[in-house]
Amino acid sequence: METLDSARFSKAEQVPLRTLIDELLQEQQSLSAVERFSQRHAGDIIPAQQKYYRDLIPLSTPGPGEQYAFQVNLDICTGCKACVSGCHSLNGLDEGESWRQVGLLVGSEESEPYQQTVTAACHHCVEPACMHGCPVAAYDKDFSTGIVRHLDDQCIGCQYCVLKCPYDVPKYHAKKGIVRKCDMCQSRLKVGEAPACVQACPTQAIQITIVKSDEIRLASRPAQQMIAGAFDSSYTQPTTRYHSRKSVPGKIRPADAYQLRLEPAHYPLVFMLVLTQLSVGLFAVQIVNSFCSLSGNGAGMTLLALAAALLGVISSTLHLGRPLGAWRAFLGLRRSWLSREILIFGAYVPAAIFYTALQCLPEFIMPMRSSVTWVLIVSLLVFGFSGVFSSVMIYADTQREFWRLSTTTWKFFGTTLILGAAAAALFSPSLLWVGVVIVLLPIKLTLECDIFRHLQDEGTTSLSHTARILQGTLGRLVMLRFGLAALGLGSLGMEMFSGDSLILRGFAFICLLCGEWLERVYFFRAVKAPRMPGMAGN
Amino acid sequence: MKLQVEKVLRQFDGPLTQDLVLEPGKFGLGHIPAKCQPDSTTTTTCGFCSTGCGLTVHLKNGEAINLTPSSHYPVNLGMACPKGWEALTPLAGPDRATTPLWKDIEGVRHSLTWEAAMKTFTSKFKGIQAKYGPESVAFLSTGQIVTEEMAFLGALTKFGMGLIHGDGNTRQCMATAATAYKESFGYDAPPFTYQDFEESDVLVFIGANPCIAHPIMWQRVSRNPHCPEIVVIDPRKTETAMAATQHYAIRPKSDLVLLYGLANRLIENQWIDRGYIAGHTRGYEGFVDHVSSFDSARIVAECDISADDLERLARTIHEGRRVSFWWTMGVNQSHEGTRVAQAIINLALMTGNMGRPGTGANSITGQCNAMGSRLFSNTTNLFGGRDFRNPEHRQVVAHRLGIGVERVPDRNSSAYDQIIEGIDQGKIKGLWIIATNTAHSWIDQNRLNRILDKLEFLVVQDMYHSTETASRADLILPAAGWGEKEGTFINSERRIGLTKKIARAPGQALSDFSIFKLVAEYWGVGCMFREWDSPEAVFQIIKRLSIGQPCDLSGIANYQMLDDCGGVQWPFPSGSQTLATHRRLFEDGRYYHADGRARFVYEQPRSSGEMVCSEYPFLLLTGRGSSAQWHTESRTGKSDILNKLCPTQLWIEINPADAIRLGIQSGQRVRVRSRRGELLGVAHITPTIAAGQVFIPMHYVMTNRLTYAEVDPYSRQPSYKNGAVRVEKAED
Repeated sequence: METLDSARFSKAEQVPLRTLIDELLQEQQSLSAVERFSQRHAGDIIPAQQKYYRDLIPLSTPGPGEQYAFQVNLDICTGCKACVSGCHSLNGLDEGESWRQVGLLVGSEESEPYQQTVTAACHHCVEPACMHGCPVAAYDKDFSTGIVRHLDDQCIGCQYCVLKCPYDVPKYHAKKGIVRKCDMCQSRLKVGEAPACVQACPTQAIQITIVKSDEIRLASRPAQQMIAGAFDSSYTQPTTRYHSRKSVPGKIRPADAYQLRLEPAHYPLVFMLVLTQLSVGLFAVQIVNSFCSLSGNGAGMTLLALAAALLGVISSTLHLGRPLGAWRAFLGLRRSWLSREILIFGAYVPAAIFYTALQCLPEFIMPMRSSVTWVLIVSLLVFGFSGVFSSVMIYADTQREFWRLSTTTWKFFGTTLILGAAAAALFSPSLLWVGVVIVLLPIKLTLECDIFRHLQDEGTTSLSHTARILQGTLGRLVMLRFGLAALGLGSLGMEMFSGDSLILRGFAFICLLCGEWLERVYFFRAVKAPRMPGMAGN
Repeated sequence: MKLQVEKVLRQFDGPLTQDLVLEPGKFGLGHIPAKCQPDSTTTTTCGFCSTGCGLTVHLKNGEAINLTPSSHYPVNLGMACPKGWEALTPLAGPDRATTPLWKDIEGVRHSLTWEAAMKTFTSKFKGIQAKYGPESVAFLSTGQIVTEEMAFLGALTKFGMGLIHGDGNTRQCMATAATAYKESFGYDAPPFTYQDFEESDVLVFIGANPCIAHPIMWQRVSRNPHCPEIVVIDPRKTETAMAATQHYAIRPKSDLVLLYGLANRLIENQWIDRGYIAGHTRGYEGFVDHVSSFDSARIVAECDISADDLERLARTIHEGRRVSFWWTMGVNQSHEGTRVAQAIINLALMTGNMGRPGTGANSITGQCNAMGSRLFSNTTNLFGGRDFRNPEHRQVVAHRLGIGVERVPDRNSSAYDQIIEGIDQGKIKGLWIIATNTAHSWIDQNRLNRILDKLEFLVVQDMYHSTETASRADLILPAAGWGEKEGTFINSERRIGLTKKIARAPGQALSDFSIFKLVAEYWGVGCMFREWDSPEAVFQIIKRLSIGQPCDLSGIANYQMLDDCGGVQWPFPSGSQTLATHRRLFEDGRYYHADGRARFVYEQPRSSGEMVCSEYPFLLLTGRGSSAQWHTESRTGKSDILNKLCPTQLWIEINPADAIRLGIQSGQRVRVRSRRGELLGVAHITPTIAAGQVFIPMHYVMTNRLTYAEVDPYSRQPSYKNGAVRVEKAED
């Protein structure tokens, strides 16, 4: 849309000038650098950069008990961050993607003025947590080089390695539905070329060396860390070595230590955890209910419990970037709690289906019905509770403090019992299950409040980090969670006096279910994920 | 069998794996991604900073698909900073201007044809000139376009359109160094070559943070085999100060006093080179007299440095056999920057640290073509570093361009700040801004924006329609950017480097060169510029203009020669025999003053215009935030990788002692107020900044709301590092 009337200008005036505009526009689109200037190095096979990096990579390959490792000379790393860009460009990564990251360490109040840039990529650990956590064996620690390689085509996008790695190395690529990470440019190393970051460092601060695995093991005693701000090395035994001859002030911290960072909510997992726990709890209560010959609609209970199990499992597949590869989940059984959880719930669901069918069809005649029922009851309880336990272990195994074993255990089993009892109360006029909820829920809520004790922590502990998020950014969510729980509790309290009101019980159940969901949302969002030192203001 | 099972169970290969497979590249590139293997490569010069790195562009069908730093280029030796690596990314920005844009009375933008845009441009500007006189239209240019375009703009506006006033954003970075050199050496001539970084045994960095601002120059320092003493004089413990062997965190703005005191110590200790002073300088006696009052006691009192440290510093300079002095914006952006730069030059002269390898008083430049702008933009000085006021100079230029001498104005242009004042006073009504982001980068931004609103017509010529300045424009002319056009840049070490067209400009964007060509035609002066047909044709004109000047580059045959040689440093007069890769000036001790001697220039230090007080108790320092950010970030902000490498929020460095007093913790929101404006940011508490000072990076648009509008009286360069501010915790 033009506001100027070009017709105002005479035709005669326009013609030659129009031609000039067209000519210039056309010229702008022509590219002639190749024709105009001589071509050099066209046939060069030997990399021109080799003269700069020749001394930065080992001459030999690692021997038995040895592996490649990054070595960073902190004294000559001056914060230019070219390693990050170099990795991105030389590896053809997607926009914004790089296997290197750069952070900053700064001095504290009492120290001399101090700052130090810290560059980090994958540490190609001796005991890679990513690999041990992977349910489908999509990680491979190369036997001869020690490089921890990610098999992109094997990955199902469960992102458990992202939770497992304490250095924030594996990065989820949502578009491709998989995780990708640094492979130390193994194809370059194989032919005597330096990895991209080594090639790109203007001051030659990054080097590849050969290290002895035993020495790394020895250097990775509990409470040792690669560098200030890094996670306890004993967990994964990282191989990167940071060297400095400078005196470092006693108290230094990552520049982002105060940053309250929210982690992803992983909603499919939130739903999956709460629903599977509801299912296990409800089946258990139903079994106890019938075992104690209490009144109630047992079939109804089993149907709801089965529905929860199915929804939970379906929800969990929505979490996967490439669910079709999930059949390989048994490959990680030896080390991965996720693999175990998948297999256990995989067995739980058919048991639940058969048990529910038997409960719903009391007239159905089949041989050995009672023994089959017994087998199913035992399977349901064993698979159910061990399934919940493996859920607990998945998170406890990440070494994140907010997810430690004790806390996660009472949270997950608390949800199991509370929601199981609350759901059972919908089908049984007995006040026993209402009473169970009234007793258990306040205990769980009290335990949940315990985190706020850490607001008083000295310095920045990871639990105080979580507590501050729960008090600040996620304050409303936490209020809602406790509000819903109180509402549910209040309804059940009234129910104790008023008798058998399905509306009150139903309302209470929905409040409690939503409350548990919210609790699980901030279970994910408020956890402090360990990572290498980051930058200020990011 | 086992292998078969393993194959089914574990996919070591497949489409996702293939996506990242590396294959041996040709062209000496080593392994590069299989999905972007080039069919040819070509070298170009980076278009961000003045280092002037060579980049090997990977081409497919003539178009750039990737790049790597050039292994063979004499400047960067196979390395680049993150900006260089990402140089192609900003070209694909979603906010590229693709057609001329016209803003109507309601502020709604409409696209125009180039023809309509040119008619508007000429009719509006000619109308203003007819009404208010030829001087009522001015332009603000840049250090980011190629020399050929600068020359064309300078000739077109001053000789063709009758404009008097035009300046560049190089006023914000290099004017001080240029002025200081001109007075001291007789010509704006940075004497060094990058090789000097490797050949010094003492390097003194004053107000410079090359680790972050010029990482590839720091690369050269790190290659120095002489275990050099590295001295950093800077109020902040910067990355460079961390890497130094000596750091003097002096009180901000006490640099001139310190340098005079240092000269005094050298004189009193007889640590001077009498032979050099006698043979190659003038004004030394007066200088000795001048610095005599700068005794140690005064330095200790005024600079926050101990007498021992002062002595150690003097001794370091004395004991160095090859001492080089380097400065950047800490000196240039100061209310008395010219004298500070000259105080550095004086130190080099009196100790005889000039003209030999590893020596020199060396100004590290800012933008990729700051030097091109200083020599050939025809703005505040006439082509080739000449003087508009000098009739002989006007005659020479007119003769070499084949134009009437009456077309050459007989006075110098107003400087940037005077053009802004001119707008405020109603003398300038029309402004043409080319490839710079005034509304972001100029001091005292709130006032600046009020002044820009007074313009009757503002034209902004830029790659992006979204810059703070472009969004104020009445007319936007869409420009092709670096990589979409060709020409030359002149870097910090006087190296003329070639930059090539390796990408297609989006839509109807045209190179600045073509836009100037169009303006010439539509303004009706096209016939004056028939010879100015292509960038390379203009390069030949520039060669002609340089003859007889110290910057003579007439020996460079053509672009092909620049390409073959990895750039050529000036001077390179025709007939030059040697083509050494690294050349420095003044090896013969002859300076450009008529008598061949350098001058000692000095003056009494003055306090800056705004001092801290009880209401505004903090001194605001501004500067580069990270190596991934370039100036107003109109380009670097387009790269996700670069964005990852710098803080996403405006952050404010505060000393822990101040933070405790104010009850501020790292990561908390903080309000900073000056007499001129205020901003909100996030506190970054670090002892690298001294108590009583705060540091805010210049890349955030809010920063210049705070800065105090004061310029050096000689260079007219703004002092970006002396506002008084108040800091307080912001309520959430």
